[in-house]
Amino acid sequence: MKIDTAIAMRAQMQADGVIMAYNGEISDELMITLAEILKRRVGDGADPKRSRTVFAVFMEGVQNLIWHSVGSARPGGMVIISEFESEVTVMCANRIPRAAAAKLKQTLEQLASADKDTIRQLYREGMSRTVDYEGPGAGLGLLEIARRSSQPISFAFVDVSEEDVDYFIAARI
Amino acid sequence: MNDLIIESTDRTPAIRFIRHTLSFEIEGESYPEDVAAFYGQVIPAIEQWQQSEATSLKVCINLIYINSSSMKALYRIFDVLDQGRASGKQVSVIWGYVEDDDVMQELGEDFRDRFPELAVELKVTD
Repeated sequence: MKIDTAIAMRAQMQADGVIMAYNGEISDELMITLAEILKRRVGDGADPKRSRTVFAVFMEGVQNLIWHSVGSARPGGMVIISEFESEVTVMCANRIPRAAAAKLKQTLEQLASADKDTIRQLYREGMSRTVDYEGPGAGLGLLEIARRSSQPISFAFVDVSEEDVDYFIAARI
Repeated sequence: MNDLIIESTDRTPAIRFIRHTLSFEIEGESYPEDVAAFYGQVIPAIEQWQQSEATSLKVCINLIYINSSSMKALYRIFDVLDQGRASGKQVSVIWGYVEDDDVMQELGEDFRDRFPELAVELKVTD
C-alpha cells in the first residue's frame, strides 16, 4: 500500500468516528485485549451499562468471526468500532463459504425485521434447542447481538469467488 | 459427592459446590476460552448430586456477564437441577443481578419461565 492511501484511509476513519479498526488474523487472546480496551473506551466508568452492552456485542461478533471464518485454522476478519453522536457501531466482517451464506442471510433477515419481543422469544427457543454444551452456541450469538442492539441489525454479503462470500454485520448501541 | 471450589478469574466465575451445606454458587463473569473444559468440571458435580441421596440443593447464581456459548452450559445445569427436583429433591434457585442490568434480569426471567417448577427467585444485588 502507498503511504498516500494510508493517509486517505486514516482521514476517512477519523471522519467516520472510528475508534478501533482491525483487519487480519484474530486469536482469542487478541479478542480479549481489544474487548478490554473497548470496554474502558466506551464506558469510561460513567455508563457501565452501555460499556457492558458494547463489550457483549463485540465479544459475540468476534467470537462468531473466529468460529465461522473460512480456513478456521487461522481465523480472521475485520472489526471496526465507530462512534457518532454517542451511538456506537460494532461492525464485523469475515469470509464464509457460499453454502453457509444462504441460511445465514435468512436468519439475519428474520432478525433485522423482528421486534424485541420476537427476538427474545427466538432466544428462549435457542436456549433450549440443545443441551450439548460443547462448541458454538447454536446461533445464540447472533440473537444476543440482535437483542442488545438498539437499532435493527444491518448486514451485507459480497461475492468474492465461486466458493466464498464476505459477510458483514453491524449492530448499533 | 465431593466439594468443588473453583476461584474466579477475569473470564470464569467462582464455583462453590459445598456438600455439607448442600449449596451451589456461581458468581462472576463467564466467557471462558474453552467452555467445554470449564463447565466440564462443573456439570458432573451437579449430575453427581442429582444421582445422590441428597434431598436438597440451594443454588445462587450471580453472573455479571455470560457469553452465548456459556449459556448452553448454564442451560444444562438448570436442566439437571430440574431433573433433581422432578425426582423429589428440594431445589431453590436465586438469580441475582445488578439493579440496572436488564439483560441479566431478562435472562433470569427466561430461565424462570423455562423451568417454572424450579421457582427461580430473581433478586437485585448490590
